[in-house]
Amino acid sequence: MIEWFHPGFIYLFGALLVPLLKGKKRLKQAYILLLPAIAFVNLLLMSKGVLLSEGKTWVLTFLGYELTLGRIDRLSMVFAYVFVIASFCMFLYSLHIKEDWQHVSALLYIGSTLGVVFAGDLFTLFFFWEIMAWASLFLIWYGKTKSAFGAGFRYILVHSFGGVCLLAGVLIHLHNGGSLAFDSFTWGIGSEYLGAYLIFLAFIINAAVPPLGAWLADAYPEASITGAVFLTAFTTKSAIYVLIRGFPGVDILIWLGAIMALYGVVFAVLENDIRRLLAYHIISQVGYMVCGVGMGLFGTAAGDAAAEMAINGAAAHAFCHILYKAVLFMGMGAVIEVTGRRKLTELGGIYKYMPITFWLYMIGAFSISGFPLFNGFVSKTMVVHASAMWGYPTIWLMLEGASIGTFLHTGLKLPWGVWFARDTPVCEAREPPKNMLAAMGVTAFLCTLLGVYPKILYDILPYPVDYVPYAPGHVVAMCQLLLFTFVAFWLLRAMLHGTPTVTLDTDWFYRIPGKKVMRFCEGPLMDFASFMDRGTLRMAGFFRALPPKSQTVVENRIDNAFHERVPVLLNFENIYNTIKRAKNRELSFNLIYILIAMLLLLIFILFGVVMK
Amino acid sequence: MKITITMRHLFLMLYVSLFISVLAGILVQLFLHPHPHFWWEEIPVFSAVYGFVGCVIIIIASKALGHYWLQKEEDYYD
Repeated sequence: MIEWFHPGFIYLFGALLVPLLKGKKRLKQAYILLLPAIAFVNLLLMSKGVLLSEGKTWVLTFLGYELTLGRIDRLSMVFAYVFVIASFCMFLYSLHIKEDWQHVSALLYIGSTLGVVFAGDLFTLFFFWEIMAWASLFLIWYGKTKSAFGAGFRYILVHSFGGVCLLAGVLIHLHNGGSLAFDSFTWGIGSEYLGAYLIFLAFIINAAVPPLGAWLADAYPEASITGAVFLTAFTTKSAIYVLIRGFPGVDILIWLGAIMALYGVVFAVLENDIRRLLAYHIISQVGYMVCGVGMGLFGTAAGDAAAEMAINGAAAHAFCHILYKAVLFMGMGAVIEVTGRRKLTELGGIYKYMPITFWLYMIGAFSISGFPLFNGFVSKTMVVHASAMWGYPTIWLMLEGASIGTFLHTGLKLPWGVWFARDTPVCEAREPPKNMLAAMGVTAFLCTLLGVYPKILYDILPYPVDYVPYAPGHVVAMCQLLLFTFVAFWLLRAMLHGTPTVTLDTDWFYRIPGKKVMRFCEGPLMDFASFMDRGTLRMAGFFRALPPKSQTVVENRIDNAFHERVPVLLNFENIYNTIKRAKNRELSFNLIYILIAMLLLLIFILFGVVMK
Repeated sequence: MKITITMRHLFLMLYVSLFISVLAGILVQLFLHPHPHFWWEEIPVFSAVYGFVGCVIIIIASKALGHYWLQKEEDYYD
């Protein structure tokens, strides 16, 4: 008998049924919303100790290794809760989408993220890690523009690199006598930690830590409107989860996180694309979490209270961030849906057409800015408070400074530029479809609920919470900070109009050389190929002098050598064409490949179970 | 009676809330004595000043960085 059903498998296997419901619109919509609901009930039963309860694991034997597919503790549960709740809101938002494969990719993406969250060993982690990267790729490609295809390719290249780092790290870790279990790694300086370094690298690539985080702002804004909403939640926050699990208290994370929080803010000032601006604020907000993970060092003279506060803060902020970031992307997605425009320079003055969207968006904006009574306030301040408990003045000032920038862009510049800024509307607009509004409403309600009544969140955090967010000092300081940010914004608002430019980020280092390689293939390389061709023909011409019979033999040989044997290895034209073809292939066709590969892997695992 | 809210009313509300937040900061400092972690937390208007100055610095520094280095024409990568 199955003692526990993995919540991720509800999504992974549920995805397979979606294409079978073709043509039954209502049934399909109900089915898609039912999957997160079932997963949520599953989680509730788990927390009540029915099915598999806390502290127990679901173990399979595979090739002599013990694979732990289900490790249930407070940390994995808090992330699982928010992933499942957010997925319900996001599916509500994308209910009107007719393309089944978009739903399938989203389901696979979420299912594999839950797989990562419950993974108790490094092999299982790697397995779900890879599905996560590939499934999310299609949400980007469903943007269906040329730039979406390009960004998707860059996205998967970066994540494949991360995946390879993870695999290499795991293998080296095992080779050095480490265990397959996914627990915190020993950290230090020296070659014996190489495995841990590589795994760490893979994790911070997914967490979009600069300079490795350019893929996020590159790819997310190119995704389909609904796909982008899914993307905001899972990859980066599962990376925070694995960092908490594997590298709590690694001090370099404190600085990386604080720099990251400000880095996102600076780039958001310069951004003209509305969703790319929000994407930079994902990087900024994830910075708080990364910083929190770095401060989660136990067993020091400072006492464990600060470490518990930091880890709790990182987890709580991930929880809240997923919800408000979804509202923000939903709001901007709605604007793109009804206007077809995505640049600040092309928007403005459309408030009167879509006031409901505006106000729901503003709830998300107040939340991310950390206004009292909204959920950002109860979680962000935990990380900031942890930095005060540790006594890091610079970190404290950097994190507070990032709060200013967050409100400045997400709460002021962006809504101002999109809905106001001009006296006459730039174009016609209307409220988005009902399901989109409903999804924004539900998510915004959750943001406010957690802000007003944070106990729900604090009760499920990994460690007991000894923190009062609504202390008068906190509330007043935050109000002052944000109100005076508004004053500065209002005085300088003329400087904050969008400009029609792109901003260079670290993706420059692979975009420009990549382009050069393509140019090299198209130009000099093809010239060289045709030069060789002509040379061959001329060489064949020399043999005209020979008797007719041997002449043909020689000619054929040369022809054979150059056009059949050598080209097998070195036919540049073919390589180039293959790349081109792969780029243009039907989306669903590619997706089928991945599904087959995934099924094969699942069969392997089940085979392992049977053998046991 | 129909109430119309004009920009003037909104600004009046803003000024009132700015005043209240500063006053509240002073009162909290005087009567509640929260335990500060850093010396500047004892200055009652620190957050107000930091918010204003921080915002100006963020805008100007980022704009300068973009203008002299990071911002390029939209077809830069094409």
